[in-house]
Amino acid sequence: MNMGLEIKSEVGFRGALPFLSTLVLLVMMQLQYRVFFLDNLFPFLSLAAVYYWCIFKPQLMPVSVVFLLGILQDILSGGPLGMMALLLVLVRIFVVWQSSRFLEREFLFNWLGFIFITLAFGLGTWVIASIYLKQSQNFWDSFGQSMVTIAVFPVVFLTLGWVRNLLVKESR
Amino acid sequence: MKELRHRFSSGFFVTMALALLIFGSKNSPVVDGFKSGVSDFFVPVLDLASRPFEAADDFIEWTQQVAIVFSENKRLRAENDSLKQARTKASQLAIDNQRLKRLLNVGEGQVNTLAAARVVSDSDSPFFKSVLINRGTRDGVGKGKAVINEDGIVGRTITVGASSSRVLLATDINSRIPVKLASGGLNMILEGDNSAYPKLAFLPLGEHLVIGDLVLTSGYGMVFPPDLPVGQVVAINSEGIKIKLSAKLYNLNYVSIVGYEIIRSPVTSGGDPSLKEINR
Repeated sequence: MNMGLEIKSEVGFRGALPFLSTLVLLVMMQLQYRVFFLDNLFPFLSLAAVYYWCIFKPQLMPVSVVFLLGILQDILSGGPLGMMALLLVLVRIFVVWQSSRFLEREFLFNWLGFIFITLAFGLGTWVIASIYLKQSQNFWDSFGQSMVTIAVFPVVFLTLGWVRNLLVKESR
Repeated sequence: MKELRHRFSSGFFVTMALALLIFGSKNSPVVDGFKSGVSDFFVPVLDLASRPFEAADDFIEWTQQVAIVFSENKRLRAENDSLKQARTKASQLAIDNQRLKRLLNVGEGQVNTLAAARVVSDSDSPFFKSVLINRGTRDGVGKGKAVINEDGIVGRTITVGASSSRVLLATDINSRIPVKLASGGLNMILEGDNSAYPKLAFLPLGEHLVIGDLVLTSGYGMVFPPDLPVGQVVAINSEGIKIKLSAKLYNLNYVSIVGYEIIRSPVTSGGDPSLKEINR
């Protein structure tokens, strides 16, 4: 992908595409799919989006935007205010810190990194929920949710890759 | 310099998130107001986005109904015959019940349907069980009101905005609902535990339940009106007495928000208009 063309297209509406695509996935997470047990296993789509954009376009996914998205998810999902914000900001810090390792690598390496991050993220939600509710919660629900997230990551990766291509095509 | 600024902003937002996590749980009116405001803003978006799923669900249900229409018709005819007989008996009992209540001056519970609402969003979390509905204070909905659907109880409202409300489901770990056994009137508490099957607590010593026992709301606590269907005992084991709820909480579409209050009227010599209505 031509980096010069990408930088040109990062202003205005197109510059907001990473935020908007993450917002769409976040809204999708809140919908009711009317399938038994799916509410316990619904993937962390916002995590996949934040991970993707922090690798490929960290300048379009600043920490303030990640925080805002996390707060929004907390409010719409009815969870403790600050939980998703904290975890997503930590994910961003980690990915940007390790960005040189993730960038320009093949998909399988990115997926492997995502597996590690998702398992840690699932553990984080379980720990925070258990502390917040003052009672140990079912860890396997969180683990299951992480596994489903890992499984759907290729689909999210492809979809967001298509959105990222728009950044270049539109500027030509 | 840029690196330093980046580190500072990251540290600032981590601290902010931690502060919100610690102090945001104190049920502050400011935090609740902020949450409600954001929910109000997003409810139309969620409402629109959930329409295709509702249409798909309706279509699946329609095809299922078409497939079983003949057998269902036969079953409903038989049920209709038995219900006609039961209706006559129930009318007689209702008249007796009204007379006795008036003699004892027992307070009448009044149930008001405050609003009908559509479920637009689900928490989709294993640890927090709640849904968002598209009705709020503008429609007469208040905090702590019972939410039910045609199958039974759903939960109660916990935060209410102008045009949206969050409903804590009966399966949530923070949910406590006073219930009773349909057969013996034994009072207990239905406790959510974040699983699909909440459990019964405070079973009196020496009392026993069996699988299949029906559970209704008791009306204590003045949130849920009495005698609403809650569910059925499905398991009795080391985890406790598990209940399968009558309402399918994973498949909620439209719900009613109801208010409940007791009205005691002084004994009057005149006839009761409701009795006259029944006698007709």
